Amino acid sequence: MESLLPILLILIAAAFAPLLQRVPGRVAGWGLALLPGAFFIHFLTLLPAVQNGGERLFTLPWIPTLGISLSFRFEGLSLLFALLVLGVGALVLVYAGGYLAGHARRGRFFSFMLLFMASMLGVVLADNLLLLFVFWEMTSIASYLLIGFYTDKEKSRRSALQALLVTGFGGLALLAGIILTGVAGGSYDIAALLSSEEALRTHGLYLPALLLILLGAFTKSAQVPFHFWLPGAMAAPAPVSAYLHSATMVKAGVYLLARLNPVFGGTEEWHYLLTLAGGATMVIGAFLAAPQTDLKRLLAYSTVSALGMLVMLIGLSTDLAAKAAMVFLVVHSLYKGALFMVAGVIDHQAGSRDVRELHGLARVMPFTAAAAFLAALSMTGFPPLLGFIGKELMYEAKMQAPSASVFLLVAGVLANAVNIAVALIVGMRPFVGRKPVRPGRAHEGPVSLWLGPLLLGLGGLVFGLFPSLIGRTLIEPAVQSVRAEHVDVALKLWHGINPVLMLSLLTIVVGVLMFLLRLRARRVAAELRVPELLLPGGLYRRVVDALPGAAGRMVRHVQSGYLRAYLFTILVVFILLAGYTFLKLPGWPIDTGFGDVSFYSVGLVVLMIAATIMVLVARTRLVAIAALGVIGFGIAAIYVIYSAPDLAITQILVETLTVLIFLFVIRHLPRFGVRSSVPTQLRDAVVAVFSGIVVTLYSLKASGVQLDTAISTFFAENSLPAAFGRNVVNVILVDFRAMDTLGEVTVLAVAAIGVYAMMKLRRGNGRVS
Amino acid sequence: MMEQLLTDSLNTAPITGMVILSLIVVMINALKKEPLATEYWVSLVGIVINIGLAVWVFPERGTAFSGSVMTGGYASVTAIIFLTAAALTIMLARVYIDKIGANFGEFFHLILFVTTGMMSFAAGLDLLVTFVGLELMSIPLYVLAGITRRNLKATEAALKYFLLGAFSTGFFVYGIGLIYGMTGTTKILDIAQNINAYSSEPLFMVGAGLMLVGFAFKVGAVPFHMWVPDVYEGSPTMVSAFMSTGVKAAAFSALLLVFTATFDFMHSSINTVVAVLSVASMVIGNIVALSQKNFKRMLAYSSIAHAGYMLIGITAGGGVSIAGVLFYLVAYMLTNLGAFGIASFIENSDQTGTDIDDFRGLYQRHPALAVILGVFMFSLIGLPPFAGFFGKYYIFVAAIENGYTWLTIVGVITSMISVYYYLRVVVVMFFQPEGEQVQTARFGREGAFALAVAAAGVLLIGVFPSVVLDWVSALF
Repeated sequence: MESLLPILLILIAAAFAPLLQRVPGRVAGWGLALLPGAFFIHFLTLLPAVQNGGERLFTLPWIPTLGISLSFRFEGLSLLFALLVLGVGALVLVYAGGYLAGHARRGRFFSFMLLFMASMLGVVLADNLLLLFVFWEMTSIASYLLIGFYTDKEKSRRSALQALLVTGFGGLALLAGIILTGVAGGSYDIAALLSSEEALRTHGLYLPALLLILLGAFTKSAQVPFHFWLPGAMAAPAPVSAYLHSATMVKAGVYLLARLNPVFGGTEEWHYLLTLAGGATMVIGAFLAAPQTDLKRLLAYSTVSALGMLVMLIGLSTDLAAKAAMVFLVVHSLYKGALFMVAGVIDHQAGSRDVRELHGLARVMPFTAAAAFLAALSMTGFPPLLGFIGKELMYEAKMQAPSASVFLLVAGVLANAVNIAVALIVGMRPFVGRKPVRPGRAHEGPVSLWLGPLLLGLGGLVFGLFPSLIGRTLIEPAVQSVRAEHVDVALKLWHGINPVLMLSLLTIVVGVLMFLLRLRARRVAAELRVPELLLPGGLYRRVVDALPGAAGRMVRHVQSGYLRAYLFTILVVFILLAGYTFLKLPGWPIDTGFGDVSFYSVGLVVLMIAATIMVLVARTRLVAIAALGVIGFGIAAIYVIYSAPDLAITQILVETLTVLIFLFVIRHLPRFGVRSSVPTQLRDAVVAVFSGIVVTLYSLKASGVQLDTAISTFFAENSLPAAFGRNVVNVILVDFRAMDTLGEVTVLAVAAIGVYAMMKLRRGNGRVS
Repeated sequence: MMEQLLTDSLNTAPITGMVILSLIVVMINALKKEPLATEYWVSLVGIVINIGLAVWVFPERGTAFSGSVMTGGYASVTAIIFLTAAALTIMLARVYIDKIGANFGEFFHLILFVTTGMMSFAAGLDLLVTFVGLELMSIPLYVLAGITRRNLKATEAALKYFLLGAFSTGFFVYGIGLIYGMTGTTKILDIAQNINAYSSEPLFMVGAGLMLVGFAFKVGAVPFHMWVPDVYEGSPTMVSAFMSTGVKAAAFSALLLVFTATFDFMHSSINTVVAVLSVASMVIGNIVALSQKNFKRMLAYSSIAHAGYMLIGITAGGGVSIAGVLFYLVAYMLTNLGAFGIASFIENSDQTGTDIDDFRGLYQRHPALAVILGVFMFSLIGLPPFAGFFGKYYIFVAAIENGYTWLTIVGVITSMISVYYYLRVVVVMFFQPEGEQVQTARFGREGAFALAVAAAGVLLIGVFPSVVLDWVSALF
């Protein structure tokens, strides 16, 4: 129940949150935060339960027919993420209460936030992959609604759609990957997959499943080349950026990779794909962050970079790397969440997010400044903050990487240096220096606005000073989940003077240099502009913009609106399919045993052929219909020759009626209009001739089949004894199949009445407009 | 003899009941000139009673009338699907037909006749019964498509539908003829007994192929889809709704019964053909839908694409596929009826105002309608936790289990494309300001109720798919 209850309760709260519209925003924020806050504390008390690989399973039947159940698993990794989701969530709700205090649609906002929170909890607690997928997609939808929250801004609508398209694409790929995994591994339960991981890795579907799942994880966690949606998502209100786009949702991909590491990991494909994508993202994210001047975009690109580091660490697949990943995950959520909230406060209170305009804010916003300093210090990896420990572990892991450790280290130092510069630009620069430009305007926000960032910043400090608080209790079980074996985690602040420390110092020096040279760097970057089309974001826009046009051109070809074009297509497909079958399959000698052909039949056939030609060349409809009638009556005559008077009678009646109806209708039609051009006529003629040939061939073949049961003998034998009639045909008509005859007569009578009624109506009623 | 007749009649009670009901409503319509309340209520109550009958005969699995009609089980489940579609259509259309000036009593009994036809079509175990069902379903629809006969677009739609429909039925009958020529019987179960021998007979396979053309036409699969956009756009919206859900469901049910459940063409050339139809439908339907400006036309292309997804299930074959396609049909029926229903609510009285741009700012005017339509769009994309997701899921699973992974991949990729045009509707409704010409939705209590049922259904079976899955599984 630990898993289901919070999700359910938060979902229920989401349903009722719009009612909070009447309550002042801050009150609503504080009130709603109680819910995740309480669960956060409750989950803390459960920490001992997950030590040493302890876990709790909770299963409810859901779709028993398919063996899918609502199964949740509660263990190290899940708990770590759940605590992040709930803890940061509670602070963000408080913050959002202040941020949107007077907003007209804040009720809706809270509802979406809670919906997201519940979905995200579902993602990290679900044990069944399909269940996980359901929650996964729900986070995408919630994110879409939240990014597009400022609905009156065109940009925010575009960004919301872009984020949803990218993560939605990825989500569908993930679904395909999950299904393949289920087929290959025999189950959708992660717990069950863990025990059959060897079979899965050697299964033929391993690689496709892996690629599809990676596609899902990479899009969600903004890995290159899918990173471009994340900076766009900064159009969302600050609480959303802090919560979804730095602390939680974008880490869902990382979570999935960490969770599946014991199942999929350990292969070369896994190792190379993850380190490559992660490494590239780490460097490119940092590179893209450098020239930015908008607070939120700076943070967004550095988040991309950090996500790359996490993916790369998971890809390294060593105990040390797993340890580094888990620590860095916590570090990053703490400082990045705080910095995003700070950026929001600055925007909210000072009216700008441009770093070139912001300075001296510390004097008017002391608490915010304190929070920002703490978070930025942690981000630079300065001792004694938790960020320092995270960076040390990361370098250590890279040094001991199975391959390419030099390359990884250089890339790591570069990326980290840029992040240090970013930390200084965002966390320090706005607060120091000259007096604010508009001092009267900028002022400290209410407690709800600075409490969240300050607590998160303090978290970085406290856990840095006392790393044992989280080492054994929180990180160790999580690492155990990732590695599927016990790994000792003893976090220490001081490791003595060693190469890793040297690297850290080097990074800080380079980072500070970058900060000092940032103006020049921006200029260089501005000159280095890559053509937009080459960037994935530009490509995305190209594709999205071009699709409707391409589709439009396609429509004009396949959907002309002309009935004759439709008929033409259908006939061509028919000829191709049926003709192909005819040619391809063996055993097609046409039965040529036609027996004697009577003189009359030949004459009739000649007549019918002549009539057909008449139909085609006729200049008025009347002639065409008369000629059609000749064909129909010719068929009736052939029935007579082959002794089937009942058929002949039916045919004559139907033919008469048809011709009559035709005559009634054509009275109201205009004369023949423009005839088609000669090439079109030729084309149609070819199609018509081939249709005729195909139909004829199959009819000939059908007539050659010998049926086992000859019904004719039955009638011949029983006609006299059973029905006392010598004329077999008469007996069939009025006795053996009397009901059929009655039916036919009735149908004809009804049809005749209908025709008569139509004639009457025509006279009385006006014309159809 | 009489006893057998009685049992057979009882076991086919839903169909017989619908015939009687249709005739009753015809008589009511002929004998009185009042407003349509009586026809409406009699039809609705009658349909509900028939749903009850279908549930009642569910355990009576077997055949009736010397093996020419199926009873219970599959027949019941499909009957319930069609009857539900008919009931929702009638309720959603109650105010609508008044608005567009099509408040003829014929509307109700034509719907009832179509439903009767669907039930015989999907329960026929004799190819002739199947054919009669097909025609009984189709002919009243030609009339319904043109029921607003002073509207040029509707008349054109009706005529196109009629001509192409008659043409495709020709293929169907010709196919039945060839099959009869080969086997000497039209009893599906008798044919199925020797299916292995027949499967190697080109004549039989071509007969089956021609029947497939008829089916493909009715389900709206590429390249037999051309009538779909023109007809859906031109016909009165609720008629299009009924066509896109009920008729498609009936054609798929009959296709499942004949091709998947009894003939069982697993891994034959027919499957290759179906796979080709499926891919073509998914690709063309989804891509062309991108450029549509009219909501009904967009839904028409989307319905072609969805036919493609369901054809994946037909290609894959087997029990999971049958359950999957049936589940998909239920999900699609509820979703699409609701989506068309909302379009009919905001439509103008001259049947214009169904462009996507006409949905601008719907959220401001009718928040509930906008939210519900949003749910339908998400369900059509196939996002959880809505019904559409599990529909796609079951079909994909069936395909992968039967070795059609590549079809699943095509399905997933084309689903990704579809995200774009479904979401555009959501964006327009929620995020764009209202246009100058504001249409106020008219739907009445009946419409609101039906819409609520559809929306609740989409959510319910999205969250608890077992509700439906238990009914549609293990029918054969």
